[in-house]
Amino acid sequence: MNAAPKPLMQVSNLGWRVADKTILSDISFHIESGRFVGLLGPNGAGKSSLMRCMYRVIQPSAGQVMLAGKDIWQQSARGVAQQVAVIVQEHTEHFGLRVRDVVAMGLIPHKRLFEWETAAERDQIEQVIQALDLIALADRPFAQLSGGEKQRCMLARAMVQSPQLLIMDEPTNHLDVHYQIELLHQVREMGVTVFASFHDLNLAAAFCDELLVLDQGRLIAQGKAGEVLTEDLISTHFRTCAVVDEHPLHGHPRVTYAYHGAAPDEN
Amino acid sequence: MRTDAARLVLLLLVGGVAIVASLVLAGGFGATEIGYGDVLAAYCQLLHGDCEVDAIQARIINDLRLPRAMLALLAGAGLALAGAVLQIVTRNPLADPYLFGISSGASFGAVLVIAAFGIEGMASGWSISSGAFAGAALSVLLVISLAGQGVQVERMLLAGVAVSFMFSAATSLVLYSSDPSASATLLFWTLGSFSRASWAGLLVPSVVIAAGLLVFIAYARMLQGVLAGDETAHALGIDVKRLRIGMLLLSSLITAVLVAACGGIGFIGLMIPHIVRRLMPAHTAQQLIATAIFGGVFMVWVDVLARTLIAQAELPVGVITAALGSAFFLLVLRRRAWSDR
Repeated sequence: MNAAPKPLMQVSNLGWRVADKTILSDISFHIESGRFVGLLGPNGAGKSSLMRCMYRVIQPSAGQVMLAGKDIWQQSARGVAQQVAVIVQEHTEHFGLRVRDVVAMGLIPHKRLFEWETAAERDQIEQVIQALDLIALADRPFAQLSGGEKQRCMLARAMVQSPQLLIMDEPTNHLDVHYQIELLHQVREMGVTVFASFHDLNLAAAFCDELLVLDQGRLIAQGKAGEVLTEDLISTHFRTCAVVDEHPLHGHPRVTYAYHGAAPDEN
Repeated sequence: MRTDAARLVLLLLVGGVAIVASLVLAGGFGATEIGYGDVLAAYCQLLHGDCEVDAIQARIINDLRLPRAMLALLAGAGLALAGAVLQIVTRNPLADPYLFGISSGASFGAVLVIAAFGIEGMASGWSISSGAFAGAALSVLLVISLAGQGVQVERMLLAGVAVSFMFSAATSLVLYSSDPSASATLLFWTLGSFSRASWAGLLVPSVVIAAGLLVFIAYARMLQGVLAGDETAHALGIDVKRLRIGMLLLSSLITAVLVAACGGIGFIGLMIPHIVRRLMPAHTAQQLIATAIFGGVFMVWVDVLARTLIAQAELPVGVITAALGSAFFLLVLRRRAWSDR
């Protein structure tokens, strides 16, 4: 049997214009359950805008976003938040909130006014804190954490939200190499469908099942890393010369940039 | 966590004891020295009606000092709560009813009513309250309409500062143009005082503040979500704009009712939430309860100071809170500078 599984999210002919300026146009793709899909593109390509359309903050001016077969604008913000967790880069004053309080925010879309946390939910929070190795930090103020620890805490928050789809806007930004790799492994271990944007092409090639490339608001490539990450695409859309070969350890494409002048001819 | 539940019980216990003790002890201070035995006897008279007390002392305690202390309690709790909630929805630790022009709007409305009708005449109870609320509502409408689409925090704060100065100027103009004896009364009133407290006057503030606290606790989880940032809050299913405007309106209502009852009292909304956050980094519902309790108790004792610092005279409460507040922030700054070295 080769029946294609029903996509978790289906984006069709999506377009978004603000005051006569086209930010996104005619974008169609779908995300199958259980996949790790990466979104690539140069600065200003519209990656964050596309994501904001997908988690129901921007209402697109054309096309639609279907979540589990239903238009997200036919669902409430709270209903969507019960199925989609989002990690964005935001730096705000957290007023002495402890790590535990930030993790518990994942319950927000699941709770009604005045509703207390149940024993099961408290256990769930404890388990997530344990799973992400946050026990020692649980009672520390969130503001005092390092960048990597903060991102781990936000991931814990997203896990408590128990979503079907996790959307992450440049999750590895500002993290050192160790935390970048560790975070993405932790995300994979969650076993959730992931849609994440990256600037690091090698990181995306290593962790994503599928890649989408966005440039000037248009989807210009999609498919497996080996099909998408070509020297041609990188030079045209990322304006950088690079050599693409095979990663010596894992076999996925490896991008090596030419830092000084053009890439040398192979000989 | 179980420790959170235990902390809530402890908080309510300690808070309850502090409130009752403050109300009892505050009854002993004032122009007439009254011993605590007599204070307790007077309260006993109030509750049971058959205790042996001096009738005059009982009247001083029960009709003057107790309602006054209770108004101070309400004012402290309400202003501290309004400040804490405004700080959360704007994610700005300096936000308070003053910064948004709510207090100055309310003061302007109340002063206008008093100047027009005289403090003894029509300008009692409801008309001052309505004037204060109209002023507060006007300033909030101005702030929201200036805050732009999506009610952005930065624009909201700047709009608040502008509106606040505008209403202060208007209040000064009214003070300047009214006759000297009236302006002395008005000035005293704009600086804050609990001297007009009465049992009947406690009804509106206590209903509004209790309802406010209940709503804040109901929305505590969402308020906490806003602390994570607007984008994250949206993604958690929170309608940030509506929540922000709703909380702003409720904080203004609390402030307006209190300005109407006891004039403009600054710094409480700024200082108390700041101290509570430092003392107990707990989740938001508990912080809000602690803020209300601490603010209320603090204000009862500020009022005791106002009544006793100078013999046979009363200081405006706002002067004391402002003095304490500025000293507090200088201390915080010094300690920060010290630990930064």
